[in-house]
Amino acid sequence: MSVKAFELVPAVERHLLMGDKARINIECIECCGKHLYVGTNDCFVHHFLLDEVPSPKGKPSYSAQKLLHKYLGLKKPVAELRAASALERLIVLCDGVVFLVDMVTLESVPSAAGGGAKIRGVTTFCVNENPVNGDPFCVEMGVLSSRRRTVQIYMVYEDRVQLVKEVNTPEQPCAVSLDGYFLCLALTTQYVILNYNTGASQDLFPYNSEERRPIVKRISREEFLLAAPGGLGMFANAEGASQRAPVSWSEGVIAAAVCFPYVVALDENFVTIHSMLDQQLKQTLSFRDGHVLQDFEGKVMLASTKAVYVLVPLPLERQIQDLLASHRVEEALVLTEGAQRNIPKDKFQVLHRRILQQAGFIKFGQLQFLEAKEHFRKGQLDVRELISLYPLLLPASSSFTRCHPPLHEFADLNHLAQGDQDKVLRCKKFLISYLGEVRGTDAVNGCREDVDTALLKLYAEQDHDSLLDLVASDNCCVLADSVPWLEKYHKCVCCRVGSPLQGFSPAWGGFQEGMIFMFYSSADLIPLVRLLLLTGVHIFTRRPACKGQPEVDPDQVIAYLGKHSQALLLYLEHLVLERKIQKERFHTHLAVLYLEKVVLLLAESPRDEGRLTRAREKLQAMLRESSLYRVKFLENLLLERATLHGKLEEHDEALRILVHELRDFPSAEAFCVWASSGRDAAYQRRLFHLLLAVYLDGAPPGEARAPHGDGSEMEMAAVDLLNRHGEAFDAVRVLRMLPESWSLQLLRPFLNRAVRASMHASRTAKIALGLARSENVQLLHDRLKERRKPIFVSEKKGCHLCHNTFSEPDVVCLPGGVPVHVHCAAQRVRDSPTKRQLANSSNHT
Amino acid sequence: MPDVSKMKKPDVKLVLLGDMNVGKTSLLHRYMERKFKDTISTVGGAFFLKQWGPYHISIWDTAGREQFHGLGSMYCRGAAAVILTYDVTNWQSLAELEERFLSLTDTANHDCIYALVGNKADLTDPKAHLCQDSGVLPEDRRTECEEERTEPQVLSTCPTPPASPASLSGLLLHKQVAREDAVALYGRILRYKGLDEKSSLPADKMCFETSAKTGYNVDALFETLFDLVLPSILRKRHEDQASPTVDLEDCREGSGKRVRASCC
Ligand SMILES: Nc1nc2c(ncn2[C@@H]2O[C@H](COP(=O)(O)OP(=O)(O)O)[C@@H](O)[C@H]2O)c(=O)[nH]1
Ligand SMILES: [Mg+2]
Repeated sequence: MSVKAFELVPAVERHLLMGDKARINIECIECCGKHLYVGTNDCFVHHFLLDEVPSPKGKPSYSAQKLLHKYLGLKKPVAELRAASALERLIVLCDGVVFLVDMVTLESVPSAAGGGAKIRGVTTFCVNENPVNGDPFCVEMGVLSSRRRTVQIYMVYEDRVQLVKEVNTPEQPCAVSLDGYFLCLALTTQYVILNYNTGASQDLFPYNSEERRPIVKRISREEFLLAAPGGLGMFANAEGASQRAPVSWSEGVIAAAVCFPYVVALDENFVTIHSMLDQQLKQTLSFRDGHVLQDFEGKVMLASTKAVYVLVPLPLERQIQDLLASHRVEEALVLTEGAQRNIPKDKFQVLHRRILQQAGFIKFGQLQFLEAKEHFRKGQLDVRELISLYPLLLPASSSFTRCHPPLHEFADLNHLAQGDQDKVLRCKKFLISYLGEVRGTDAVNGCREDVDTALLKLYAEQDHDSLLDLVASDNCCVLADSVPWLEKYHKCVCCRVGSPLQGFSPAWGGFQEGMIFMFYSSADLIPLVRLLLLTGVHIFTRRPACKGQPEVDPDQVIAYLGKHSQALLLYLEHLVLERKIQKERFHTHLAVLYLEKVVLLLAESPRDEGRLTRAREKLQAMLRESSLYRVKFLENLLLERATLHGKLEEHDEALRILVHELRDFPSAEAFCVWASSGRDAAYQRRLFHLLLAVYLDGAPPGEARAPHGDGSEMEMAAVDLLNRHGEAFDAVRVLRMLPESWSLQLLRPFLNRAVRASMHASRTAKIALGLARSENVQLLHDRLKERRKPIFVSEKKGCHLCHNTFSEPDVVCLPGGVPVHVHCAAQRVRDSPTKRQLANSSNHT
Repeated sequence: MPDVSKMKKPDVKLVLLGDMNVGKTSLLHRYMERKFKDTISTVGGAFFLKQWGPYHISIWDTAGREQFHGLGSMYCRGAAAVILTYDVTNWQSLAELEERFLSLTDTANHDCIYALVGNKADLTDPKAHLCQDSGVLPEDRRTECEEERTEPQVLSTCPTPPASPASLSGLLLHKQVAREDAVALYGRILRYKGLDEKSSLPADKMCFETSAKTGYNVDALFETLFDLVLPSILRKRHEDQASPTVDLEDCREGSGKRVRASCC
């Protein structure tokens, strides 16, 4: 499993350094910005200016320009070089001595007064890249000395070095790295972490430093990379714990560096590159005579004994794309996600999303749908990218175009499946489930039409159960695309609803398996439903008889439409008038509907004569043409008609219908009671007289008088009426109306009651008269009495009737001199039983 | 698949210790990937991140090889739970735990919990072999076991298991480590740690017999431990929130309480 993560690019070639002097070797290097310093075994320091040369093909290259070289005068190899750029100094270790050199002139810096600029007896040193002390004009340095079990901390200034701390170690230290207060040390038999501030020490793990060269390399804040037994590269933090799994090197590693997310290690023959993310070996470069490997501000440099190289990382995106191109999805994702910290957030998000989407399509192509879905979801894929793989699914009106550069290598589904129908089917099933999941979510904002239409098409094509659910729910299917598609797959016969209502677009009704369904967008709901009800019936009437499909059961349809009379009417007309179905049920139903309509229109005020005439014509035509309707059933409706006449106060017409057409005498009587309820006695009396007249008209004397004939039936009804409701009649008028021939016996209950009633009335009237007179006398008496004494009215005094106080001086005095409000007195008079009686009986007397 | 979430900072650490070949890597694979596959001898160490509810638990697989022994203490540093693993068909593997591995746990948390796990139970125990009570669906497992069984085994210590369950009992390996031996060792571990048996987790609960091969008891092992380390996670989160630096007074007080709690 390899990746091309780095490229080895020459920086300083042999001839620039030593020409053809064979015995001269590179000992150490230091790079600071464009400045490259090389220390050699003949005690020279060479200074180069290193420029990156932009190249058209993107293949990086470097050009080095030699500025200066300087002999340091010690005849020993230059062991280490470190730049302190803020001080413009190079810290040099040569022949066990640390001293300072000017970065530009390479001249040794003379000791300042008051302090030395040299440290003697040094085996190695390191610079603290994360010092606790924040002074930018001094550099903190950890120094190991030969034959002493101590670590010394020095501060390096422009012209002097100053010892600030000395810590003892249990064994001889041989390698050191520094971060904050933490010294990471390789001792003779183990690694330790030492806090030079507190003196606290933490053992890491055993390591035989005499057997193998130890490595202690600071890689980030408080984290170190160490060479461990068995050729491991171990990570350790300042607490002495490992937070990353180790990488596995060869035993002979001499140097290591980190260039995120890779660990680069150098042994005699190779540069190996491991990923810190999955610990796998990613790349191996053959490299002979490797001597130095170091990273300088993110730039990894290598030196053999004769030349210097730069290890140039390939752009991350290239690496990721390479991985994707070889379908190594997981590695690509690990690499992407691992790079999160090294890329600006917004840029990372864009990159991450794109990689996820590509990864999703790779998994999709391998039919690993579960993974694909997860990647699509995380990568916030525009679903239309996926839909567009399936020919014809996107509506013609869709504005979608695939993203560029493309997310995948497939032209379409057929290309992907290479003619394997099973694959095609599985992909379709996947899309169905995927769209079903996303369609309710924000992920499809802005493309709901496309998604819903695609889903509808798939459902229809795959004969999916959820088709009805989709159309029945709030959806955004594009009508122009959906209708032909549905018709093509015989899912339904669609009946377009024209657009008489403004601003409502995808509305239509359809039919399948005996059910009505409709599309709507919720805002149009109410106008749409009305519209659909009126025209929706076309679904039934215009539907051609399909072969194979079972005929719709008209009874079911009618039961359904029963709730929507207008549609029902249309449907019945279709059945009876157009299809001429000879079923009594339908004919009667239609006739009844016509009739109802006429009655309804009749009752309207003001009447719409035009509509009424049309309705009447239809009814009459129906009654004339059809011989199948049940007359009886229609008759029942006369009752309602009578009622309506009653409402219109056309009582004679109402009673005529009830008596002559329906011969329903109890109803006629009930009608009188109902129509006069809430009215005064005179009104009721008029009604009853009217009814009596109707009865008597129906039985004119001298006509057929058969015992069971019409006439006698009416007479009996009249007699019954009189006997039952005698009190409601004016007996005198009745007696005048009645035929001569009627026997007194027949009318005895009526007459009895009439006589009694009139007696009662006259007596009550007399009593009332007497009472009124006495009241009058009483009042006169009081008036005489009150004239003599005053009646007090004040705001604090209450009225005896309503108990409210008086606000005006006008009052009425009740008998006994009690003052009451004027209106209260009037009320009392109105309510008084005697008065009422008097009022009633006044016309009797 | 490599764990993509490694960059997240884990809340708590679990460490698997034990001699090489006892099946540490296999146990972890079984739990994380729900399958038993060929392993190569672990180099150095590896870890997995497990999402457990809202928490991230890192589980370290260590190398049992003598060569990497020195790294053990580092892996154990700050561990909330240590799984000491042995092979039920190999007495020496249990002895090694006490001799070599126990001392590595000195760097673990003071309230670290210890589990003793006898792996490869399928080789000695028909119940584990047929694997009736693990989290996997019985059907899946049966076919999986059958597949495994037909594969040639390259284990020097364990002969190829029988092909048919009917003849199983006759061919089972000798179980070298009885449960009682493990329970006894657990007691000695507590003593080594200076813990009181009564106030510590009971041996019953903390001694497991598992099979990475059939999945027997594997989920139970890990999930029991996850539940037990939850308080440790919460405490750590609380501490991290309260102060990023260590408060010595606080520590002393905390440990004082702990001692008191454990002796009554
Ligand atoms: N029969 C059986 N073999 C196992 C089991 N677990 C591991 N093994 C085998 O034991 C060997 C060592 O396993 P490994 O997981 O690498 O052990 P580690 O060194 O502790 O990580 C491998 O050959 C595994 O196939 C088990 O539960 N049953
Ligand atoms: Mg292993």
